[in-house]
Amino acid sequence: MSEQLTKGERTVLKELVNISERITSRILAKGLDEKEERVVSILNSLSQRGLIELETSEIVSYYLSDEGREYAERGLPEVRLFRAVVELGGRASVDNAVSKSGISQKSKGIALSWTRKNGWLAISKENETTFLSANTEVVETPIKSILSMIHKGEHRFPRRHEPSLQIALERSLITAKTAKVFVAKVSEEMRGIAENLIGEEVSGIIDLTPEMLVERTWEGKDFRPYNVELQPAYANYGKKHPYAEFNDWLREIMIGLGFTEWDGPYVETEFWAHDTLFVPQDHVAREVQDQFRIESPYDHGDIRDKKYYRAVKAVHENGGDTGSKGWDWPFSREIATRLCLRPHTTPVSMRYLWEHRESPQKMFIIDRNFRSETLSATHGQEFDQCEGIIMDKGLTLRDLLGYLKAICNAVGIKKLKFKPGQFPFTEPSVETFGKHEKLGWIELGGSGIFRPEVTYPLGIKDTVLAWGIGSGRLYMAAMGINDIRELFSRDLNWLRKSSFAREAV
Amino acid sequence: MNVESRIDDLLNLIGKKLSLEELEDALFLIKAEVEKVEGNIIEIEVNPDRQDMLSTEGIARAVRAFLRIDSGLVKYPTKKSGLEAIVKQGLTKIRPYLACSIIKGVETDDELIKEYMHLQEALTATHGRNRKKASIGLYVFDDIEFPLIYGPRKPEDIAFVPLGYEIEMNGPTILTDHEKGVDFGSIISGFKKWPLLYDSKGEVLSLPPIINSNDLGRITTDTHNLFVEVTGTHLPTVNQALNIMTTSLAERNGRVESITVVYPDGTTHETPDFSPEEMMISKDEINKLSGFDLDKTGIIDALGRTGYGAKQRKAGQIEVLIPSYRVDVLHPVDVIEDIAIGYGFDRIEPGMPQTMTTGKAKPVTGLKNKVRDLMVGAGYQEIMSYIMSSPELLNEKVLRDRPLVVTANPKSREYSVLRNSLLPILLAFASQNQHAEYPQRIFEVGDVAVPDEMMETRIQQIPSVCGLVTDTTVNITDLANEIGFLLRNMGFDSRFAYKKREDPTFIKGRSADILLDDEPVGLFGEVNPKVLSNLELGTPVIAFEIYLPRDGQW
Repeated sequence: MSEQLTKGERTVLKELVNISERITSRILAKGLDEKEERVVSILNSLSQRGLIELETSEIVSYYLSDEGREYAERGLPEVRLFRAVVELGGRASVDNAVSKSGISQKSKGIALSWTRKNGWLAISKENETTFLSANTEVVETPIKSILSMIHKGEHRFPRRHEPSLQIALERSLITAKTAKVFVAKVSEEMRGIAENLIGEEVSGIIDLTPEMLVERTWEGKDFRPYNVELQPAYANYGKKHPYAEFNDWLREIMIGLGFTEWDGPYVETEFWAHDTLFVPQDHVAREVQDQFRIESPYDHGDIRDKKYYRAVKAVHENGGDTGSKGWDWPFSREIATRLCLRPHTTPVSMRYLWEHRESPQKMFIIDRNFRSETLSATHGQEFDQCEGIIMDKGLTLRDLLGYLKAICNAVGIKKLKFKPGQFPFTEPSVETFGKHEKLGWIELGGSGIFRPEVTYPLGIKDTVLAWGIGSGRLYMAAMGINDIRELFSRDLNWLRKSSFAREAV
Repeated sequence: MNVESRIDDLLNLIGKKLSLEELEDALFLIKAEVEKVEGNIIEIEVNPDRQDMLSTEGIARAVRAFLRIDSGLVKYPTKKSGLEAIVKQGLTKIRPYLACSIIKGVETDDELIKEYMHLQEALTATHGRNRKKASIGLYVFDDIEFPLIYGPRKPEDIAFVPLGYEIEMNGPTILTDHEKGVDFGSIISGFKKWPLLYDSKGEVLSLPPIINSNDLGRITTDTHNLFVEVTGTHLPTVNQALNIMTTSLAERNGRVESITVVYPDGTTHETPDFSPEEMMISKDEINKLSGFDLDKTGIIDALGRTGYGAKQRKAGQIEVLIPSYRVDVLHPVDVIEDIAIGYGFDRIEPGMPQTMTTGKAKPVTGLKNKVRDLMVGAGYQEIMSYIMSSPELLNEKVLRDRPLVVTANPKSREYSVLRNSLLPILLAFASQNQHAEYPQRIFEVGDVAVPDEMMETRIQQIPSVCGLVTDTTVNITDLANEIGFLLRNMGFDSRFAYKKREDPTFIKGRSADILLDDEPVGLFGEVNPKVLSNLELGTPVIAFEIYLPRDGQW
């Protein structure tokens, strides 16, 4: 213990010796009028030197979201709806029940879905009117008590509340904040040494000044040594979001492989989102449980290229001039012009091909997509996709596998296996699995050769290879993230401390 | 879609002793994947295009062909029963098509009955589009008195005991009280008359596509002679569903007999019809798309391994016979994929990428990245947010009333509209991070969506940059200098200016438009304490937002 203390270490240690009891870093920082982050950093350094005992623990606190606050004050919409049905004699039309309950039209869907999920209300249809009938007389929901406790100012909960908290989190009714608490105390065995260290007077020049340099007064004198082996405190300078950095890295790779970046709108007509990709108009992917529809201010868009529209319609109805049977089903303009949030980035590939019909072409996109999923650790309603196309004369399935190999190698995955797959717009279709160092065999993405039903309406006869990789998953592996919601982390402390290292993929 | 099978039963149907690993490898190469193995139960994921593999029998048939245990087109001998099903007039707009079959001597036990029901459910859900295009019913053949009648009837005149119930119900009651009626009633509820299938004694078989009768439709372990009917609105879908169901049951030692369906105009269809569809494909076409160098023998072998019949024809042409249970073959490319599968995806040698193009980023990406670099240089931490948000945050809390793109089917209000500005998003972020150290300097670069009737998809998608600073005290001059740093380094030294303008989100007298060549491109200011209180933000905030040009050019 011959080393000396820095000024900061001396101050903190002195305070701890004086107090001589367990104290949190927050109170310590307040007493010293210092930033807590700096005090924590000093405590860490003192603890490494064995001078103090330092304990850390994490405390999770829960807070209401706007929706949660409204429910805490006015009651859960499903409970209000259920009560309204009971008050109306146990059976009522949806409209009557909703108006009796006083819940907003916006909450109606949420209320209906939860009363049904919880088995409180049964739904039936009679003469075009939908009726609700109560399956029980009294209902209990643990979420209600959680919301009201938080509303009353309770923010921490024992473990037994975990399941209800989880549901409330998934419904975005509450948010969780994690705080780290540091508790420090001078180590009893080291008290003597500590007292010596803070008592020791140190001599030598502290600050070297311009005057000293001019007058050469520093010559022949000692400089007071500093602790240059300190654990640096976290510093909050400007930097990029690690996920954005990851996407930048992917973009660089794609450009390096000769791909041109393209983009397209989040809101699409189903024409571009599905019809041009030969997805049948009654396919389940277009249903409300799978994709978001747009309701207002406009629920339908238009299709500007009339000739292309006719060609796509013909392909759906009877195969057009492609030699295909088509879907043998009437094609609806109403469905084609319906607006949705794009569920994949493939419509962007189609928009690119629409503008670039001559070979060779290589295009990629990394951007956001939307699926109607309830937010959870494994499902996000927004996710990014990295995908692209290669168009050239004479390209084959073997070439597709060759490109997949090149792309996967470029993102750091060397060992691959291929499996036949299925997508409505490609044939043959391929699923690629890669051996990831941490995760083992993982599904990397889907790919295939665009069907003639997809390319011929544009007059394209050359082969178009299409591929996509699950980039979010690669990023999560690189960052050691297990929860998909952390892709778009809203925790500033985490962001300040996290960075994406390219080698980590 | 997942299929649950008993391993011993599956291997028995395959007819070869395979290790679990061998089975798994074979399945992987024919588009199926083992999801879970627990004791004797195996759960296999089947791709939605292979409706014919939605049963243990169908999977076994595919594996048998692939491992060359029994490759090529499987023949299902069919005997004419001489029995008739008569379609009455008046169903054209409701549910016009009917196809039926008889399978005698089928193995049944409790597990198998469950599996048959599962196949029926899975087929009607996907291939039948939730029963709209086709629905399937299974019955005890020996209890039915032929000929069958399929005709329209007034809902209140329909009366029978639905499957799983003991009391008789009429049509309207079934739609309101029976769970299948509630789920699928909308398919027929709009019509004045509903389709009904009954036998010559008047006994009801089913009210398609809702529910079968409990009397004729209850299959037990004593049932070995089955009657299958499919009704629907699309004839090919109806026939395919019948073929898949019937051939699966035939794999259980069933003997198939056909029925004559007589339509009101006098035309008759003998169903099921297993005759394969023919397709001519040339050797060149196959090798050109696959990149293989297969000769005719190789092609015929690969086709056999995926269950097709194939014959050599002259001049490099191959005649392909498509099994009648395949629903996914629309075009020669579908056959070529199966040839690739038959050849073996594990044997395909990846080609060498040769398409020569030069890559580049979109100009707007370059602009966004320039802005991000400058914001980082100015000491801001980048954040990334969801595009979806809530009207409360985007308008009410920040005292705005701007048009929003609204979704019809949100899962929660918090994510129900598209963000039309980044500023409220960053304010909410700051509000959520009041435990983190100050000062907080954050920024985001991303697109916002604004309704626009003139656009093809009715939105303008605008790239935007927003920066926000919050601390115990804030200084608007510092912010103005930082925006100046940003714009000057983007090359607009003499082209920008600030012009004072009131904005409800900001404190009166402390906000301005950012002008570029005299056009407003953004704004900055000190945030109104009312907004801060709406967001429960405990520290003062200064912020700016600039809309960037979509084409990356100013």
